Amino acid sequence: MNYVLIVGAGTMGTVHAHSYLNMDGVQLAGIVDIRADAAKQLGQQTGTRVFPTMEEAMEALPEIDVIDICLPTYLHLEFVKKAAQFVKNVICEKPLARSIDEAKEMIEFCKEKGIKLFVGHVVRFFPEYVKAKQIIEDGGIGRPGVIRTSRGGGFPAGWENWYESREKSGGLVLDLLIHDFDYLRWCFGEVERVYARGIKGREKLDYTLVTLKFKNGVIAHLEGTWAHQGFSSSFEFAGEKGIVDYDSKKAVPVHLVRHVDSSIQTAGVTVPESPLKENPYFQELQHFIHCMNSGQDPIVTCDDGLKALEIALAAQEAMDTNKPVFLKSVKEELTK
Amino acid sequence: MKLAIISFAHMHAFSYAKAIQSYPGAKLAGIYDDDPNRGERAAEDFNTQYYESLDVLLSTDIDAVIITSENSMHKVHTVAAARAGKHVLCEKPLATNIEDSLEMIRTCKENNIILQTAFPVRFSSPVLRAKTIIDSGELGEVLAIKGTNRGTNPGGWFIQPEFSGGGAVIDHTVHVVDIMRWFLKSEVKEVYAEVDNRFVSEKIDDCGILSMEFDNGTIATLDCSWSRNPSFPTWGDVTLEIVGTKGTLSVDAFAQKIDVFNERGHKYHYWGDEMDAGLMGDFIESIKEERIPSISGLDGLKALEVALAAYKSSRQKEPIQLSQV
Ligand SMILES: NC(=O)c1ccc[n+]([C@@H]2O[C@H](COP(=O)([O-])OP(=O)(O)OC[C@H]3O[C@@H](n4cnc5c(N)ncnc54)[C@H](O)[C@@H]3O)[C@@H](O)[C@H]2O)c1
Repeated sequence: MNYVLIVGAGTMGTVHAHSYLNMDGVQLAGIVDIRADAAKQLGQQTGTRVFPTMEEAMEALPEIDVIDICLPTYLHLEFVKKAAQFVKNVICEKPLARSIDEAKEMIEFCKEKGIKLFVGHVVRFFPEYVKAKQIIEDGGIGRPGVIRTSRGGGFPAGWENWYESREKSGGLVLDLLIHDFDYLRWCFGEVERVYARGIKGREKLDYTLVTLKFKNGVIAHLEGTWAHQGFSSSFEFAGEKGIVDYDSKKAVPVHLVRHVDSSIQTAGVTVPESPLKENPYFQELQHFIHCMNSGQDPIVTCDDGLKALEIALAAQEAMDTNKPVFLKSVKEELTK
Repeated sequence: MKLAIISFAHMHAFSYAKAIQSYPGAKLAGIYDDDPNRGERAAEDFNTQYYESLDVLLSTDIDAVIITSENSMHKVHTVAAARAGKHVLCEKPLATNIEDSLEMIRTCKENNIILQTAFPVRFSSPVLRAKTIIDSGELGEVLAIKGTNRGTNPGGWFIQPEFSGGGAVIDHTVHVVDIMRWFLKSEVKEVYAEVDNRFVSEKIDDCGILSMEFDNGTIATLDCSWSRNPSFPTWGDVTLEIVGTKGTLSVDAFAQKIDVFNERGHKYHYWGDEMDAGLMGDFIESIKEERIPSISGLDGLKALEVALAAYKSSRQKEPIQLSQV
């Protein structure tokens, strides 16, 4: 049995908790949150013990094998290091951290201590993204040429509005577009240069358009939005011989529309769903647990997380300076 | 009103010829083409006269010409028509360089004739509706636009730079840049572009992503790639994703289609309004009313400047200020 402690009972903590509940060989043993009500609510939903701090949880639950950090990004470094004192396996939500220095410190700290660190770049576990990559690798579109991706929806709600602070979340480019940076790098290798333009200085409204030029010549255009209603994601890979196209707005197998209830003063609610037996978060976390036990390398490593972070920070710099940013590889600098 | 078409090198000549013939009071009075075979065939198809000599055609009593020759020939043909006092509707891009465009604009002005650039997308019903929504203020301030004008490699002279002036970037930048300028009532200030040759075997730019900033601060990108392949259900697209302070607006100019699946595969059949009729009507009415055309030569030049700046940016790998062009 693998005993898991989740730290952070917000949006992601809730998703992770429900994933562990249905996972064979895994027991969600505890949940930590400084907000007693959030912890209590998730604890009740999942029938799990809750604690205000990691220290208290570890004292009560010495059997924990893995600590899963679902905290706001600016707390990742501190809590990964803290977790590394207690357990041999740490899972950390993406992005690893807000800066290369922080991410490297985290990775090196874990390496030195022999701790396995996993980073939650969950897009690598979305079946539509996995399938597209496979089709491209099987030559389904010939040589890839122009790639377009889109991701986003409304402005995210978080504890104490932490998403609104670029200092805390890294903003849209770091928090949201990092998914596509990681995925595209997985598909097409290293990025040579990055250009980005975004809207600036708007409250609870953000929108960024990024162009990547990969070393292999592929051009990618990414849209990241916190200016739309309802989450969606899409991609289109155009190659010499073919096109792979996906839009979550169009691939909706179940779509509930509730009638307008005049007494509640709201418009009709529409809830699109894409049900799967095992959702991508479940698959990701199950894979990490499997890697923990087998020693197998994960599909996404923390070095990948660092590389994605590098692209994101370059995009941010391009946006701030209005100039393309040429990436220098951080890989060599990593201690082996 | 008598109109003539100069050259059937560009396939739009066919739909313009149809648009002329279906416009009340307009007549397609002749066709000039430096390729006699092509010219004679077109004259036969449209039941009009073929002229071997441009001068002879221009000496007749026609009121105006539609120029659908190779891009590099637009200047010679426009200047000749202007000197003969014939109004000009010129296919986009206006020319292959700034100097030619300026000379065209100048000559037309000196001879007091209308020079209109053929930007038919301005007459697309969905695009017109989007313009109305933006002008009404419903979107608030427009902060960003993500555009696409993708297409299929047209082949022929389009991929011979000496005739076309360039590939996908010059071919497909100008339409949507024109729409963005028109929507925003603002000029492009800065352009950055990634341009490459990744789809066709001939050495020509066939894909590009432009990033732009307008004078009013709006940011925009445009995908002008010839990235549609023969099995794609349609030739290409014109789309605009517009982000405003009060909402978002998604425009897909050719979304009015039905899907057809048969032995030829899957194809879109468009059923929305035709834009070329609107363009032609506007040109003819401008001449009749002696008014400034709704799309000018300057509009053509402004859009061309952006395409040329995109090439320069991709060579220099840095953003280009438009005044530098
Ligand atoms: N993979 C994905 O698809 C995805 C989606 C959303 C968020 N994320 C990432 O997950 C992380 C968490 O985001 P979220 O949306 O769940 O945030 P959230 O604001 O919903 O939740 C954060 C929780 O952490 C708690 N917390 C804050 N400080 C704490 C502390 N010192 N000790 C214990 N608990 C503390 C808060 O009370 C809150 O409940 C972020 O890094 C984010 O980027 C990933």
